[in-house]
Amino acid sequence: MAQIADYLTAVFLVIGGFFGVVGSFGLIKLGDSMSRLHAPTKATTLGVGGVLITSLLHSYAIEGYLSVHELMITLFLFLTAPITALFIAKAHIHRHREDYDLPETGDDTCWAVLEKEEVVAEPLSDSLEDMKPTE
Amino acid sequence: MSLFLIAALPFLGAVFPALLIRAGRNACSSAAGAVTLLALVGVLLHAPEVFRGETVTARAPWLPQLGMNANFFMDGLGFFFATMILGIGLLIIIYARHYLSREDPMGNFYTYLLLFQGAMVGIVLSDNILLLVVFWELTSLSSFLLIGYWRHLPAGRQGARMALAVTGGGGLALIGGMLLLGHAAGSYDLTTILERKDQIQASPLYVPALILILLGCFTKSAQFPFHFWLPHAMAAPTPVSAYLHSATMVKAGLFLMARLWPVLSGTDIWFYIVASIGMITMVLGAVIALFKDDLKALLAFSTVSHLGLITLLLGLGTEEAAMAAVFHIMNHATFKAALFMTAGIVDHEAHTRDIKRLGGLRVLMPVTFVLATVASLSMAGIPPLNGFLSKELMLDAAAHTIWNGSEWLFPVLATVGALFSAAYSFRYVVHTFLGPVRDDYPHKPHDPGIGMWLSPAILVLLVVAIGLFPEALAGEIVRTVTDAVIGGHGHYHELKIWHGVNTALIMSGIATVGGLILLALHRPLDVAWLAAPRPEAKVIFDACIGALIRAARAVTDTLHDGALSRYAAIFTLFTVGLGVYAFSTGEIGEATRPMNRIEVLPLIVWFCLIGATACVVAFHRYRVIALVIMAIIGLVVTLGFNYFSAPDLALTQLSVEVVTIILLLLALNFMPKRTPIESSPGRRLRDAVLSIGAGVGVGLLLYAILTRDFAFPSISEYHLANSYKGGGGHNVVNVILVDFRGFDTFGEIIVLGIAAVVIFALTEAILRTSVRAKLLNRKPDWPVAGDSHPLMMVVVTRLMMPVALMVAAYIFFRGHNEPGGGFIAGLIAAIAIVMQYMASGFSWAAARQHFPYHGIIGSGVLVAAVTGMGAWLNDKPFLTSDYGYIHIPGLEKFEWATAALFDVGVFLAVVGAVLLALESLSRYAWRPNTDSPYPMDINPARDDPRGGRED
Repeated sequence: MAQIADYLTAVFLVIGGFFGVVGSFGLIKLGDSMSRLHAPTKATTLGVGGVLITSLLHSYAIEGYLSVHELMITLFLFLTAPITALFIAKAHIHRHREDYDLPETGDDTCWAVLEKEEVVAEPLSDSLEDMKPTE
Repeated sequence: MSLFLIAALPFLGAVFPALLIRAGRNACSSAAGAVTLLALVGVLLHAPEVFRGETVTARAPWLPQLGMNANFFMDGLGFFFATMILGIGLLIIIYARHYLSREDPMGNFYTYLLLFQGAMVGIVLSDNILLLVVFWELTSLSSFLLIGYWRHLPAGRQGARMALAVTGGGGLALIGGMLLLGHAAGSYDLTTILERKDQIQASPLYVPALILILLGCFTKSAQFPFHFWLPHAMAAPTPVSAYLHSATMVKAGLFLMARLWPVLSGTDIWFYIVASIGMITMVLGAVIALFKDDLKALLAFSTVSHLGLITLLLGLGTEEAAMAAVFHIMNHATFKAALFMTAGIVDHEAHTRDIKRLGGLRVLMPVTFVLATVASLSMAGIPPLNGFLSKELMLDAAAHTIWNGSEWLFPVLATVGALFSAAYSFRYVVHTFLGPVRDDYPHKPHDPGIGMWLSPAILVLLVVAIGLFPEALAGEIVRTVTDAVIGGHGHYHELKIWHGVNTALIMSGIATVGGLILLALHRPLDVAWLAAPRPEAKVIFDACIGALIRAARAVTDTLHDGALSRYAAIFTLFTVGLGVYAFSTGEIGEATRPMNRIEVLPLIVWFCLIGATACVVAFHRYRVIALVIMAIIGLVVTLGFNYFSAPDLALTQLSVEVVTIILLLLALNFMPKRTPIESSPGRRLRDAVLSIGAGVGVGLLLYAILTRDFAFPSISEYHLANSYKGGGGHNVVNVILVDFRGFDTFGEIIVLGIAAVVIFALTEAILRTSVRAKLLNRKPDWPVAGDSHPLMMVVVTRLMMPVALMVAAYIFFRGHNEPGGGFIAGLIAAIAIVMQYMASGFSWAAARQHFPYHGIIGSGVLVAAVTGMGAWLNDKPFLTSDYGYIHIPGLEKFEWATAALFDVGVFLAVVGAVLLALESLSRYAWRPNTDSPYPMDINPARDDPRGGRED
């Protein structure tokens, strides 16, 4: 039994490590931000997931207690990774909005990510210039 | 009545007038009067003991380690002054009730007056010279409030500032003098000091101590060349002038000279400084007084002159002179207070104090005329009034004084002083009350009601009574007080009017006749005086203060010109200089600890740190990027803390890092995203050299410290050993924070709270100016996101909030034994709430936040304070913690320390402070029409997913 557990932990550890490397490699290798966004997803899901499963197995089968920290870590990863990805993507589209030919929304409103219709009153003066320190 | 109570009564009672003014002016003044009367009765109850020659004492340790104790004692001198302060105070309170008009805030007046009275009583009853200094400073401060009472008058404000600058400056000298004196005597207890005359006078500290103490006394008692503040303080309401300048404030300096007379006097230096200054002041004050047209200015300079007289007597150093001084203090208080009050009556009724516009009031104001005449004749030294008696004693003492080998100098000067004194006294009566009735008074004068003339009348009665029956009324008390002044039993003459024809009487006669002649010649003399050039004290004073301010500003502006890089450069240069000095003069021991082995993982992280730091330098012009890299540095530091077994620090660093980054992001919102190049290459080179030098220096220093054992045993052992035993916690860091150094933490949370409130206040102030319009008209330099509050973020932060709060609670509760605690928990809770602000926008979140952050900060500080005070119930010092164990069925037994309650205070203060600061910064970004009723911009579940944003 312990033997099996040993083998299993080893397998999951290798899987985790492999996907971690894949994710990191992709981050370097891939050309633009949008593609690069995909690489860390491998690392956070499969890579970290593998390590977490290893940890669970290890603590249960070898240390002899059930650890739930790993579940919490999984939960937090699932919560935070999408948000991070969303914000990176949003920021990227913002910075490069001229480079993309976004399809029509099929509505009379534009894409949510892009700037909203002007709701701010017309500026009275170019105040940013005034606010600069005078030194 | 205990001396503690007597000294505390005016301070405690100062609350009542402020509160009772709502019940009317009579209630207000009665309260002040009742308090004063009570304290006066308390003093008088001790009269039998004092007249038996005993001293009444009350002692309590305050800061015994510093030699500072709340010790009070009352001997003859203290009794005499306390009676005078409280007795005349009572009369002033009655007088002021009728003097102040309806527009004057009477509650404030009586509160200030009682505070001042309490400080004066404290001075005269203190048995500890440090305590005396504390009360001394309190009189300076409270007299500032009194002199500047009519704050709408520029003269009042300027006079108050001048008085504060002069007497406060003298107070500083006095502190130095008192410390030296206490050091020379080996004790700060006055009674002990008074017994150590020889030890003190033999000490090399005697002369500096004497000079510093005299500086304090001379500034307070308006002696030359510090006499100029007193006339300017006349801008105060007349009751204040009457009180401060007859019986109290200016007499404090005389009191101190009399108090320390046994140890300080008797030397040549004492005689030459004190007697000479006294003589100069007496003559100078008298001469100036004669040419003043303002009634109060005349009286002010006459006060200066009489104070000089008393100083002169104290300076002579003989027993008879000391007795004369005591007697004149008493007499001066009676006639001068009465005179000030009559001047106030004239001002009140005729609406002017200008002698040149007055005259003939004898017919219109008979009562005031009688009072003023008797009092000023006493001031002139006319028998049989009390002023004559003490002036006679003064002239007698001066007649027998040899100054630097000259037998005639002092007698002649004393006669000249007395002559001018007689002249201005006569002028006060003649030019105000005698002469024809005029028809051009600003207001038709008549005698006031009894309320206003009762007080001077009582004093004038005393003037006459003491003059007629000096031995019966004042003999005993003057001798008791003089015994206290000289610190032994002296042999004195009886007080009597007729001593036979002697030198003093002849001098007195010359003075009186000369005074009358001077008065007759006043008009031509006045013209000559006005034509003569003479220094104007206020101009000189203003010039001096102006020069000081310019000098201070020059220094400050050079060091702090508003450029952060300059502060940093100065600070760094100074620190490096100190380091170089320490390194070149000290010595460094052998390295006693081996280097740890360099592990691979830390090495990698270390390279990250170095790389990130280099990146900050390289990219610092791109502010957002620099911020991101700084976050990396923060994380590496956190890892470092954790690696070196400082989990508490790591947790704190992590949460502080998050809050800081959010704060900086908020600030960046208003700044250009790139910094322009502002400094010249030379300056950048300077900065580079400085910062690299400082960095290398700190690195080497750390290396040196870490490779050596501590030179002295460190306190850590004590903390480790006592953390559980004394503080009931296994987490030493937390026990240090909430227990060992709880008072520090208490101070820190207060500071934190103040900082947050200041940020709020600055925001409020700035947003009221034109900056607000600029902010509203600001055009973002980057396109605004379409959905600033995206659905995903909103949903996740909602989910995370309870989790984060639970983590905060967990960190909090385990804090006493494991890494964590109120500070970290507070930061985490704050972050949990900030997430909501970030996700759904400031307005949406603020509308759902029902507890004002100020209140949270305040409650935190209060909780901490109340917990600390709880220790008093067990007769333990503030913030002593206690702990015990609690059993709740179903839970394991757990420990509960009072320190945890203190930690609640820390928690609340941190939460409130962080959120208030963030909220304040967010308010700059607020714009109209951006408030949304929805938590997220686009919600597919809504009928109108965009939430009607189009309007």
